[in-house]
Amino acid sequence: MDVYLYVEGNSPLHRLDPRPKMLLVVGLIFLAVAAEHPLVPGALLGLVLAAAQVAGAWPALRRVRTILLTIGGFSTVAWALLARGTTPLLGPVTVESLLYGLGTGLKLVATIAGSVVFLATTKNEELAAGLIRLGLPYPVAFAFSTALRLVPTFVGTGATIIQAQKSRGLDVESGHLLERMRKHIPLVVPIFAGAIRSANRLAMALESKGFGARPRRTYYLELRMGPGDWAAVAVAALMFLGFLLIRLTGWGEIPGLHR
Amino acid sequence: MSTAIDLRGVRFTYRGAARPALDGVDLTVAPGEFVVLVGPSGAGKSTLCYILNGLVPQFLRGRLEGSVTILGEPAAGRKVSALAEKVGLVFQDFESQLFSTNVELEVAFAPENFGVDPAEIRRRVRECLATVGLTGLEHREPATLSGGQKQRLAIASVLSMEPRILVMDEPTTDLDPLGKEAVFAVARRLRERGLTLVIAEHETEEAAAADRVVVLHEGRVVAQGTPREVLTRADWLEELGVQPLGAAQITARLGLPPALTVEEAVEVLREAGYRVDPAALVELRERDRRRAAALGEPVIEVRDLEHRYPNGVAALQGVNLTIRRGEFVALVGQNGSGKTTLVKHLNGLLQPTGGEVRVAGVPTAGQSVLQLGRRVGYVFQNPDHQIFAETVYDEVAFGPRNHGLPEPEVQARVEEALAAVGLTGREEEDPFAMTRGERQRVAVASVLATRPEVIILDEPTTGLDYREQRQMMELVRRLNEQGHTILCVTHTMWVVAEYAHRTVVMRDGRIWMDGPTREVLAREEELTAASLKPPQLVRITGRLGGTLLSLEECLHALRKG
Repeated sequence: MDVYLYVEGNSPLHRLDPRPKMLLVVGLIFLAVAAEHPLVPGALLGLVLAAAQVAGAWPALRRVRTILLTIGGFSTVAWALLARGTTPLLGPVTVESLLYGLGTGLKLVATIAGSVVFLATTKNEELAAGLIRLGLPYPVAFAFSTALRLVPTFVGTGATIIQAQKSRGLDVESGHLLERMRKHIPLVVPIFAGAIRSANRLAMALESKGFGARPRRTYYLELRMGPGDWAAVAVAALMFLGFLLIRLTGWGEIPGLHR
Repeated sequence: MSTAIDLRGVRFTYRGAARPALDGVDLTVAPGEFVVLVGPSGAGKSTLCYILNGLVPQFLRGRLEGSVTILGEPAAGRKVSALAEKVGLVFQDFESQLFSTNVELEVAFAPENFGVDPAEIRRRVRECLATVGLTGLEHREPATLSGGQKQRLAIASVLSMEPRILVMDEPTTDLDPLGKEAVFAVARRLRERGLTLVIAEHETEEAAAADRVVVLHEGRVVAQGTPREVLTRADWLEELGVQPLGAAQITARLGLPPALTVEEAVEVLREAGYRVDPAALVELRERDRRRAAALGEPVIEVRDLEHRYPNGVAALQGVNLTIRRGEFVALVGQNGSGKTTLVKHLNGLLQPTGGEVRVAGVPTAGQSVLQLGRRVGYVFQNPDHQIFAETVYDEVAFGPRNHGLPEPEVQARVEEALAAVGLTGREEEDPFAMTRGERQRVAVASVLATRPEVIILDEPTTGLDYREQRQMMELVRRLNEQGHTILCVTHTMWVVAEYAHRTVVMRDGRIWMDGPTREVLAREEELTAASLKPPQLVRITGRLGGTLLSLEECLHALRKG
């Protein structure tokens, strides 16, 4: 089972240094949430989709599309119904509340889609290397990237355990709540026992490969900021600036909206 | 410095253990020597490997006595990370020693830890991948590699530290026959370059390439010498619980000069005038035929089965298979050839995306795993993926209770199942504290307790030593004789030869060969194409006029004249 979002490729987005790429994502999130009006998050979503096209990141987006559509659709509908405006449209929905709902939905979709495109174009190790260069201690970054690396292994083992117990007649779907919880014991015990065993083996393998052998380790992935990377930093900076401008000027508020 | 490894009077007792794991080991390995350690489970092979790079006693604690000298320096008090640079260690389980998301980063990881210059790391990555034959896969995710490729990657990821000594702890246990060969081909290449090699193994055929074989038993070195001196003592090894070589077995039993390889054995047997007696062969074939004719009606019918995973990958295509009541079928093929996917259709864990599967005449489509489980029992490969109860009794009672049987009936089923696997009287023991072989038997009992007609076993001998493998397969044979239909997924070829009546070979999601075991194992070239290799005795007799499957058959049908 594959739970990574990374899509192998050599697009400009793949080649971008992970540090400015992280800044771009943070900038995107700030700018997306700055205004009430759907125009800004809508434009940003357009940019994210264009980036996905350039990077060939569609497989990753396709895998989260249900989540994206659910979250986007639900917030749009919920806020269109809940918020109050002055220009009636249909029942409790007003033009203002619909705009606000669309804005909120697009904010969530644009930020999640942006993060997914980031993960689709950034290897685990690049992410870790980027975090280290931004000052995170190596053991913390390693723990982070190893946790990500182990997710598929645990998911795979969990799936096997479920199949093994189902083959012995376990049926976790029937019965009332308490009964169902009790029925998970045959799944939880082997999963935890297995996790402890594999953590121990992992620690032995790490020791055997000299983890922490030297106070300073070197990095095979060398991060060097090229002109493109600096340009990305500039774009991220513009995004922050945009966020500040919108917030300070109050631009993009929807007149007549009461939340 | 004249020795690579020097152990004197080494005794080690794990913290909390009653008996020492190593009990007075003296062992000297010269630089550039290739040593293979053999011995049954619990002999101390892994402990010895761990001592060489300091995991014992630095990580796995306990009491260590005696002296350990590595490359002329005492190992006592040195950290694992200090020894690891000189002594690379490769583990049996390849999953837990790979942590990176692509192949080249995996190889770079260890030298990064030792602060090696990135340009130098780049050179080592290139060189190490070339050594293990993985050049061109630099950007692949390790999880997408085959088992054999993963283990070779694990070797490369340790070689990149440029150790002087490479230690491997049962590196080929989970691999198919050609995967095993590829790992040993890497070992031979490294030895030519002067690396000192220590490999723990429980299969002996590949050990013949070593300079020296060391036999461990109950924590002691009980024999050592050249492969010829040690491995020709076939009966003695078998008694210890180490798999003997077919070539050595047959030459010893017939009182001929000892042989280690197929070619040698064929030559020795020919010279002595032995060949497979045509009359005896006819008799054996006739016996095979009578057994096949006595089988019952079809119990499993697979028609044009296709299985596509949600990502579109076709794991099975056009699979047709009929299994009759009382049959003993081995399902073999390379890792990833579709064996497990196929058998998961038989108890409803997977549903066909095309074609049909019938169990006892009824299509599986629309039946739940619980319903199918009454007829088809499935023993998973790793008992640790299912054992959860505090007592053996509760573990075995799990299935019958799930099927809603009343408690007196459950008790009768548990007693019956434990008797079948030879664990009567151990109902109150904690399964987690048992050996791997015993846990495997608990797992079989827990499936038997629901009295399924058909029993599927997925790699029932993996992780077991030779004696435990024999015990497990004798148990399976008894179950078959009592009327259970057996479908055994395996890549242990001697198990196939000696126990299965019929062999089905899978390759790339299709059935590649299917027939009586004697006929299938005779087709060596086609088996090679499916990454399989028949056991030595089968290959030897195949060159002497007819395929014989076990030592007993050989002693019966090999005659002078």
